[in-house]
Amino acid sequence: MRRGSLVQLTFFALVAAGICTAVALAIPWLPDPAGKEADRIDFTYWFVTVISIGVFAIVAAVLVYAILKFRVRPDDDSDGPPTHGHATLEIVWTAIPAVLVTAIAIVSAIVLAQNGRAGANPLVVKVLGKQFAWSFTYPNGKTYGSLTIPLGPSKKYPNGRATRLDITAADVIHSFWVPELSQKQDALPGAHNTLVVTPTRTGTFPVICTELCGLGHALMRSHVDIVTPAQFAAFEKGGSQTSGPPGLAVFQANGCGGCHTFTPAGSNGAVGPDLDKLADYAKTANRGPLATFIKESIVNPAAYVQPGYQDQMPHIYGQQIPADKLDQLVQYLAGPSK
Amino acid sequence: MTTAAVDSHSHHAPPVPGRLLTRPGWVRVLWTTPLFFGLGIGIVTLVRWLADWNPVWYAQPLVAVELVMVPLGFLVGLGAFDYWAYYASGRRTRPEDHSSHGATSWRDYFRVNTDHKVIGIQYVVTTQIFFVIAGLFALLFRAELARPGDQYFNPQTFNVLVSDHAALMIFLVIVPVFAGLGNYVIPLMIGASDMAFPRLNALSFWLLPIAGTMLVAGMAAPGGGPSAGWTCYAPLCSHQPIGQVFFNMGVQWAGTSSIMTALNFLVTIITMRAPGMTFWRMPLLVWANFTTSLLVVVATPFIAGSQFFVMFDRVMHTNFFEPAGGGYVLGYQHIFWFYSHPAVYIMVLPGFGIISEVISVMSRKPIFGYRLMALSLLGILVLGFSVWAHHMFVAGMASWLRVPMMVTTMLIAVPTGVKIFSWLATMWNGRIHFNTPMLFATGFIATFVIGGLSGIYLASVPIDIHASDTYFIVAHIHYVLFGGSVFTIFAGFYYWFPKMTGRMYNERLGQLHFWLTFIGFNLTFFPMHYVGLQGMPRRVADYAPRFADLNLFISIASFGLGASTLVFLYNVIHSWRFGELAPANPWRALTLEWQVSSPPPLFNFEEVPQVVGNPYEYGVPGARHAILGVPASEPAGVD
Repeated sequence: MRRGSLVQLTFFALVAAGICTAVALAIPWLPDPAGKEADRIDFTYWFVTVISIGVFAIVAAVLVYAILKFRVRPDDDSDGPPTHGHATLEIVWTAIPAVLVTAIAIVSAIVLAQNGRAGANPLVVKVLGKQFAWSFTYPNGKTYGSLTIPLGPSKKYPNGRATRLDITAADVIHSFWVPELSQKQDALPGAHNTLVVTPTRTGTFPVICTELCGLGHALMRSHVDIVTPAQFAAFEKGGSQTSGPPGLAVFQANGCGGCHTFTPAGSNGAVGPDLDKLADYAKTANRGPLATFIKESIVNPAAYVQPGYQDQMPHIYGQQIPADKLDQLVQYLAGPSK
Repeated sequence: MTTAAVDSHSHHAPPVPGRLLTRPGWVRVLWTTPLFFGLGIGIVTLVRWLADWNPVWYAQPLVAVELVMVPLGFLVGLGAFDYWAYYASGRRTRPEDHSSHGATSWRDYFRVNTDHKVIGIQYVVTTQIFFVIAGLFALLFRAELARPGDQYFNPQTFNVLVSDHAALMIFLVIVPVFAGLGNYVIPLMIGASDMAFPRLNALSFWLLPIAGTMLVAGMAAPGGGPSAGWTCYAPLCSHQPIGQVFFNMGVQWAGTSSIMTALNFLVTIITMRAPGMTFWRMPLLVWANFTTSLLVVVATPFIAGSQFFVMFDRVMHTNFFEPAGGGYVLGYQHIFWFYSHPAVYIMVLPGFGIISEVISVMSRKPIFGYRLMALSLLGILVLGFSVWAHHMFVAGMASWLRVPMMVTTMLIAVPTGVKIFSWLATMWNGRIHFNTPMLFATGFIATFVIGGLSGIYLASVPIDIHASDTYFIVAHIHYVLFGGSVFTIFAGFYYWFPKMTGRMYNERLGQLHFWLTFIGFNLTFFPMHYVGLQGMPRRVADYAPRFADLNLFISIASFGLGASTLVFLYNVIHSWRFGELAPANPWRALTLEWQVSSPPPLFNFEEVPQVVGNPYEYGVPGARHAILGVPASEPAGVD
């Protein structure tokens, strides 16, 4: 290879690497991490990114150079030099990638092992996925439709705890994911999987089902509240779901709060209509008494769609919720609005 | 064989008047298909009645059995089994008259034809029809995804469109289109007059339209079509409407076709190479199809098993994967991915072969590191069987299994990297003609490197835990299967178009097609990396409002990408009819298919070629790959 072409090739590679680095840095590719596991996954991600930029820059530089320098006109019928190979070069580009991927594998294996450790005395929450809602059961036996967990141990919160989720499913396969925590685990019917999360900042983040589980898959959402250890202690004492009205259990078990705001249940979903305003909706709709209207809207959501929203509520709850539970839910939703 | 002998074999047996109903053909199909349909109903109801199973008339087993019987009736009517039935019944051997060989009119493409060149074109055209259908499905659900919330389709229809888009693209487009191109080119490349088993070859092709029709027809089934994704995970898929059975059985027909073609390729490549064509003198496309066929033969029975088991769970109430009955839920995924990961290589190795041909010829240089190129294919073949569980890093399988699967997955990057670097080295110092096949080959390298690198991210277990089942996966799979496989397919189409049709395609339209595809592809799929990492799961009809702008952008870009196909279709159809007549060897290539006329004669070579050198000796003074001019023996089967 001539010296001049090597200089040009290096120049192209640096330009390509510069553009790639700018794209990698300018765009926030990953969500802002909210857990120790997510921090480690971020590190792995950047480790791979640096190597990838190097490889891509070399390939891009050679391609661009070849396009610019070696193209000939269609009527040129000369042949190139008959080079058949180059043993040293072939050994080099077999060995270097092998070393690079081995390095990535080692880093990944270490991170994987660290991300599986919950430390001493973790909080254990049982997670149940079912079509199409999540439910979370605490050691004290209380069950909720959303997840509340404390911050992990840190200098500021020495009494913080990691959380170990014990995940299973009732019907088909679901998958539990919180993008900000970066941890994901399938929920299998008939088997239990564990997942460790060690939160590092407070906030409310979405819980998403990522395994196609049927018609309501896209709406199988919940949220996780990450709170300080003191707030968590208060949460563990109060806010019992079983001591609330029976309709609340139905509300939470079916994941209504994933899409709807309803203050008595503490939900703030914004996909569907605001259930705090049910009485007003019933008046506008003019489809009989409040309870009748609510029941119809659950069993046959398409019958009346509140202006400003779309007909996207799954038409499954009529069959999914037993009649007595449905009545409890209707009563619960109608009650506080009276 | 003399020219006169070829001519005497090339005309077709004249139709016998008055035997229209019994002669193989579409008229016979009209009565054999209903006959087999009736037989299916009879068998099921008779067995259920005799066994006293209630209800006697039960849809699940009826549909499952009919999806075997109706296609069989169709194949019997078309005449796919005639010769074998005649032979098996113990009658005197019928001398082969080659009456089912070759095509003189368009009608010859609609019957059981034993000419590998006709079958190759049958394959390619069929797969392109399904390419358009599956592409339209994608545009439909991209329209739905242009905004959050429900627009045009309910979740059931959305899931059906997503599932069928993937299933058709994989089983009816990418896997068989390589079988089609290979069918046309490989016997020519190795100097053979046809495939080893021409009748099996014809049968392999006719299973394809059956599989495709079944997958599409399932959409009209009561309760809705197959909607559990192309992966069809148990136990979701055993609880879907009956359209799911159409999916389970459609995959079986496509898989059977695939296995039979692979066996045919293997026997052809091993036993029918021209004198002097040693393994180390084979063009890399032949090496690629040889390796792919080994993968197909070993791996495809696993997807057949997975689909049968999961169908038995619903139809016969077995409990292979039903946890309530003691079944093993993850068993499905292990069996499924033991095929479906090697399937990724089934869908890209033949493409590697095409790229090697195109880059060497268009750069006017020998392929760089020929032996390492062939050995890297074998390396991918072996490693390809040891990585299936990287699709299951978050599935909850034995957690220790994740690290070894990660290591093997990472190692696959090594032989793949060798191929990329060797192609670049082949281009280096070349005299490169950037015509349409070469543009697609170059575009392939660029996009496939991106797909390969995102594959490294996904191979790393911790990153995969974050990115699994998100749009990042959708981006990755399309960078390797569209930016990878489909680009190689287009490169192959343009490269062999003159050989297959005898006419040149329009170069300007070809280049326009490349640029529209390349730009549309990157605009559509690159942003998906971002929305995926940020938190958008795949296979959702509805998504968080914060992803609305990018999804609208992706949808608009996807329509541009879809429109680029119109340029391709116009170019192909117009050039096929009115294009400039193609010379025998427009690319000045050395491999054997270019040493015969375009299109080639009925039995490919007037004389058996004598191979004397390597296939890529461009720039080597006086080098020759083959000498045509040795007297030939009669083709197999001539009395």
